Amino acid sequence: MQKDSLGPSDADIVRRVIDGDVNAFESLLDRYRVLVVKIVARHVPHGDVEETTQDAFVRAYLSLPTFAGKSDFSRWLGSIAVRACYDFWRKAYKSREIPMSELTDKHRDWLEEVLSGESGASRREGDQRSEARELLEYALDRLSAEDRMVLELVYLEGLSVREAADLLGWSAANVKVRSFRSRRKLEQILKGMRREERGAS
Amino acid sequence: MRFRTSENERLKRAFQEVYAEKARDDLGDGWPSQVMRRVRQAGPLKPASVFWSSFENLVWRLVPVCCVLVFLLGVLFMKMEIGSGYDYLGTVRAEMERPSLSELYGLEG
Repeated sequence: MQKDSLGPSDADIVRRVIDGDVNAFESLLDRYRVLVVKIVARHVPHGDVEETTQDAFVRAYLSLPTFAGKSDFSRWLGSIAVRACYDFWRKAYKSREIPMSELTDKHRDWLEEVLSGESGASRREGDQRSEARELLEYALDRLSAEDRMVLELVYLEGLSVREAADLLGWSAANVKVRSFRSRRKLEQILKGMRREERGAS
Repeated sequence: MRFRTSENERLKRAFQEVYAEKARDDLGDGWPSQVMRRVRQAGPLKPASVFWSSFENLVWRLVPVCCVLVFLLGVLFMKMEIGSGYDYLGTVRAEMERPSLSELYGLEG
């Protein structure tokens, strides 16, 4: 539990909010806004970060009475933010609002360069980064919301299975199985791209 | 054929680098006030009852067990129904074969 040397601890603020001082929540919002925005920005498209962050904070406010104070408040809030992102993807996939990105030969070239271990000096680093980003989005768009979240947390952020399970509120066994499957699916998607390239040439 | 380990590692590193760049916090300053507006609209919180929250957890944990139990009872009930149908038929048949009161006392014909 964080204790600011100049201000009240998180536990004190939480107690005040639960006791009816709604405005005290603003202190928690100021204290943890950067953390939550950083978490949400990793998981949802840039245009949806603001709304998802708002949802996460409002959900945290409504869930404050269930915060037992046994764990660190930032961890508790972090798990709410991750679940808000997961809900965002569930809704997005359900309503199919997320446009599927398409790939070009540049993306396939980037993939071949990375797989072959070449530096790709013929192209600028900025171009390569944007191709890598678009290719990653292309692959993630083709996974389910569950696989996407697990792949992002375990494979891309490097969290342990236990940490990812705590954040998502799932069992460690579930996360372990999904992590394995989602990596396989990612590999299949990327392999499919290479096959397409061979077929085209 | 799967990717080789070295290929997988190179891909993972490349993807992790671009993924880490996504964590930008360049949002405007207006959203916290919108959060507070929504919070004020929601109003003061009601303290959660420890009893009800633990009861709710217990109920959700018992749901799979209840489903299995209902299924088993359903199967059992269906089997019992068939058996009792046969029993009923046997009783009716035995009833039909049993002599009537007038027959017993020789009052007929």
